[in-house]
Amino acid sequence: MTPGTDNHELFENLRLELRRGSLVLAVLAALREEQYGYTLRKTLAEQGMVIDEGTLYPLLRRLESQGLLVSEWREEEKRNKRFYRLSAEGKVILKELLAEWQRINASLNGML
Amino acid sequence: MDLVDSYVRAVAKALPEEQREDISRELSEDIHSEMEDRQRELGRELTPAEQEALLKQRGNPLLLAARYRQDQRSLTIGRELVGPVLFPFYVKVLSFNLGLTLVVIGAIFLALTASGQRMGFNNIVSTCLLQLFIQLAIVTVIFSLVQKHLTMHPDRWHLKGMGGGVALDLKVEKNIKQRIKHDKKGWGPEVSRLESISIIVACGVAVAWITGVQNYPFLILGPASFFLKLAPIWYQIYFPILLLTVAEIVRAFINLMRPDWVLFRLICRILVHAGGLTVAYALLKAGTWVVAAEGGANVSAGYKGAVEIVNQVLYWGLLFSVILSAGMLVFRIVDLMQRWRWQNKMSGAEATANEGN
Repeated sequence: MTPGTDNHELFENLRLELRRGSLVLAVLAALREEQYGYTLRKTLAEQGMVIDEGTLYPLLRRLESQGLLVSEWREEEKRNKRFYRLSAEGKVILKELLAEWQRINASLNGML
Repeated sequence: MDLVDSYVRAVAKALPEEQREDISRELSEDIHSEMEDRQRELGRELTPAEQEALLKQRGNPLLLAARYRQDQRSLTIGRELVGPVLFPFYVKVLSFNLGLTLVVIGAIFLALTASGQRMGFNNIVSTCLLQLFIQLAIVTVIFSLVQKHLTMHPDRWHLKGMGGGVALDLKVEKNIKQRIKHDKKGWGPEVSRLESISIIVACGVAVAWITGVQNYPFLILGPASFFLKLAPIWYQIYFPILLLTVAEIVRAFINLMRPDWVLFRLICRILVHAGGLTVAYALLKAGTWVVAAEGGANVSAGYKGAVEIVNQVLYWGLLFSVILSAGMLVFRIVDLMQRWRWQNKMSGAEATANEGN
């Protein structure tokens, strides 16, 4: 393996690590309004947060099991869809996470 | 939307049972939403090729299913041998094999004890450990090869049957049957290269084992080899079994080179299966499968009792296997005939359509 490939792999790993934390925040923020999986994915992509379904749906399940999201199956356009939204607990956590995000952002802006 | 169903079904099979329905519904809904969105953009229905391309983007069903699972355990000895994707299947296969091995060994011990044979503790422990080690090694080698293939070629899978997700399903016959309903092109889906490699490895191990049994009856009789030995029939059927196993290796090797020779595989499997059934029938007819290790007039009543019990157990085991095998052979022949009929029907329909044009 060449040093170039090593560096690229290292960068990819670090980038994924950086993104992983931000994705949770992005998903929670996007679900302040109720959405189903596909529209959520589109909303995130339109905002530049492209996320594949193999990552999004397991994440939604995890957040739901942690009590941050609630979901229900409902019919829309003649098809059953699962709608997600923030739970009361999710709203509190999101508020705290956003405040933390602002602090990190301000710190990093000061350093960069 | 047959392709979507096939994909969702392939993912569902690799999911834990309690989550299966829920995840499948949501996955199916997501795929349909995406397809409808695409159709709206294009202003027309998607072609099967376009549908397939969309599904391919979602990745190997096995890998996708693994992302939903909480269980992310793996087998790592220096490097990762069996990753989280295959680990649940590895545990299932290993548990089944080890369980079966222990039951067989237990039955032999019981038969020997019931007939008054004394078994040393060391014999029991060493036999169990050896058998468990052999099983563990074989299953681990096969799974680590499959894991290597998955890691090196995560995108090498096909919706119409072969590769990663679908081919690893243990209910192969059921899958084939389901696919016939959807397949309108020929004899069925191409033969998975992964399947061919697995068969070559498994048959290679089988050849080594069959050959080893000739010199070391311990491999098949376990601790009972101290008191029993194989009857002459096993030595008579050695070459036919070897021939059938080698034939299967050759067939798998040919299909590895030519995965599109589906009819070739169907016919070969029937022939090998029929050969195997003939050998099993000859074995069943022999009537005696083990004899006392100490022959002649020295054989005690206890020995004779043990031999009789083991032969009885083998008789019922063999009878059950022959009946099961005969049923499977009939199923395979019927399956081939159905495919042949379907092929003829499609050729007829194509000819009529051409005449119409």
